[in-house]
Amino acid sequence: MSWLPCGLYHEHYREDHAWWQTTFVKGKMLLLAIFAIVILPYLDLVAPDLGPYLLNIAVILLYTILAASGVQLLIGYCGQVTLGHAAYVAIGAYTCCLVLMHGPALAAMTNDPNPIVRTLAALFSLLMKAGLLYPAGIILAGLAAGLWCVIFGLPSAKVKGFYLIMTTIAGQWITVEFFITQYVSQIGGRQQAFTVLPEHFTIGPFTIDSDRKIYYLGLALVGLVVAVTANLLRSKPGRAWIAIRDNDIAAEAMGVNIVAYKLLAFFVAGAMGGLAGVYWLNFNYIISPEHFQWFWSLWWVGVILIGGVGSIQGTIFGSMFMVLVMEGLKALIVPLSGAFPELLDKFLFIKEALFGLAIALFLIYEPNGLAYRWWQLKNYFNLWPFSY
Amino acid sequence: MDTEEKEDISREAPVQLEVDSISISFGGVQAIYNVSFQVRKGEIFSIIGPNGAGKTVTLNCISGIYKPDRGRIIFEGQDITKWPPYKRAEAGIARTFQKIELFSGMTVLDNIRLGRHVHLKSGLLSSSIYLGKTAREEVESRKFIEEEIIDLLEIEHIRNKVVGMLPYGLQKRVELARALALNPKLLLLDEPMAGLNLEEVEDMARFILDVNEEERWKVTCILVEHDMGVVMDISDRVTVLNFGQKIAEGRPSEVQQNPEVIRAYLGDVEDLYATRR
Ligand SMILES: Nc1ncnc2c1ncn2[C@@H]1O[C@H](COP(=O)(O)OP(=O)(O)OP(=O)(O)O)[C@@H](O)[C@H]1O
Ligand SMILES: [Mg+2]
Repeated sequence: MSWLPCGLYHEHYREDHAWWQTTFVKGKMLLLAIFAIVILPYLDLVAPDLGPYLLNIAVILLYTILAASGVQLLIGYCGQVTLGHAAYVAIGAYTCCLVLMHGPALAAMTNDPNPIVRTLAALFSLLMKAGLLYPAGIILAGLAAGLWCVIFGLPSAKVKGFYLIMTTIAGQWITVEFFITQYVSQIGGRQQAFTVLPEHFTIGPFTIDSDRKIYYLGLALVGLVVAVTANLLRSKPGRAWIAIRDNDIAAEAMGVNIVAYKLLAFFVAGAMGGLAGVYWLNFNYIISPEHFQWFWSLWWVGVILIGGVGSIQGTIFGSMFMVLVMEGLKALIVPLSGAFPELLDKFLFIKEALFGLAIALFLIYEPNGLAYRWWQLKNYFNLWPFSY
Repeated sequence: MDTEEKEDISREAPVQLEVDSISISFGGVQAIYNVSFQVRKGEIFSIIGPNGAGKTVTLNCISGIYKPDRGRIIFEGQDITKWPPYKRAEAGIARTFQKIELFSGMTVLDNIRLGRHVHLKSGLLSSSIYLGKTAREEVESRKFIEEEIIDLLEIEHIRNKVVGMLPYGLQKRVELARALALNPKLLLLDEPMAGLNLEEVEDMARFILDVNEEERWKVTCILVEHDMGVVMDISDRVTVLNFGQKIAEGRPSEVQQNPEVIRAYLGDVEDLYATRR
């Protein structure tokens, strides 16, 4: 193993299949991990104001990465444009929320006349005793969101491009504005928003109730999603997705079952959205249909357009860009609002206008996204000073 | 090449593919009408004919991209007429395209890897964790690609290049590599020589003969080609299509002298030998 990539030779195929191939890159990743795991969450010990503020931004960033990962998988890798991903995030959030809210009641129904309910009750009380109700909620949320996404991916078997975009938009309205607002939110007969107390978010002995723990959970979920994506992309399903994106006729002629692999992509992308929904619930303790409006579906597409379509780093860079720019905007507007109070009223408007502008500028000047620029920069320094 | 041996194949080997009076029309255009032929195991079977004769449409019917309006296609005893293309690939039919259809954003290696798709067993879970089974399978598949295909087709130097950037001749070769990665029993080649220079044509002909003759491969080939020199040289048998109908079939020497074939090529005998578009 060498330090510099210009003289990189592998002796085994396995090394050439590895994520990080040089000691240098492995070192870089280690430093990044130390920063993310040790330094950032404990920054408040030395900087009591800045630390929590940064941690909060990091949580929003992790949520954005989680939500955009599914969009990246569908659009960037499988070529299936989705403009309704907030629907699957919502399904994930509501599934987990319902499990946490009604799980204990269900667990108590051990004397129900219906044997199915009794079995479920026994199962849930077991889960509760083991402190695994929340993990079960997370898994169910992923499954439910994945299957939900498959339903709206079904038309992709027959239609492409514009028509598929229309179905995913329809999915958004049907799910959030109709199904969740009209029916799911009415469960329990209370008002629109559901709240879950922090103490319900327990994984075994841990309760995910402090900023730091929420941050760690997000880090774990993002780590999982990124690792799964990276692994899928270097094996059979991921290659099939990319093949479908690049040339579906050739892919099918080479033995790829197009419909099955498209639906698999919808499932995985939906499940990732579901995890994002769970995370949203965990750091807000409250959900309502307004949290999953169509704007967010567009926002996550914007994230991958800016970060780079068809690149995992692209998802991360795009999320960073969007989150940081929004924070910067807030930081700019709040002090200015003393002099111009109307700025605060117009914040939403400014945000959306700026979002549109950013996407337009990126499409014109940086169509390959930030990830490509980063790659260029890296190549330049890798071979520096003989980089021509 | 030993012509004696080749003639034996076309008489004695079992029938691998039977195309039984297929017809297909697009709108008003009758692209092929009542075409039948049998391809025997181990043959190089060529389909020739003027532009628009229906050669590509015939291959598309065999690989499943088009479904014939009438007629049947039987592969190794199974009626595959209604099968979708991916199932035919799983059964061992691979192809290349007249207009190159590579995954242009992927590297050469990844294009060829996709050709292994039907042989890989990893599902969603195992691929997600990429431990044990999947990692092992990927290494095995890589080994197969490196040792059997990249070596054979002499493309070591471009394995990590993005396909879209490669010159045309190499792209044609990568397409062949991807089809071979499927380890096919039957290989459909749609004008593999078109647009190649003389040296590349010779290489390509050599590769086709290699995979056809070598013990390791023994792939049956259906070749659609305008380069009559190559067709007459390497084919065991030739079928001639004209305006969607079969007008002749036989060994290269027979077909060459068939008056109807000569008429189809505008009476220009030269054409039979020198067509190069
Ligand atoms: N998808 C399609 N829709 C309409 N017409 C088609 C289609 N595919 C083929 N055809 C028509 O069928 C006829 C046969 O076409 P085909 O591509 O098989 O010719 P070919 O023998 O391969 O010719 P070439 O040597 O030019 O490749 C042509 O008239 C063509 O226009
Ligand atoms: Mg053709």
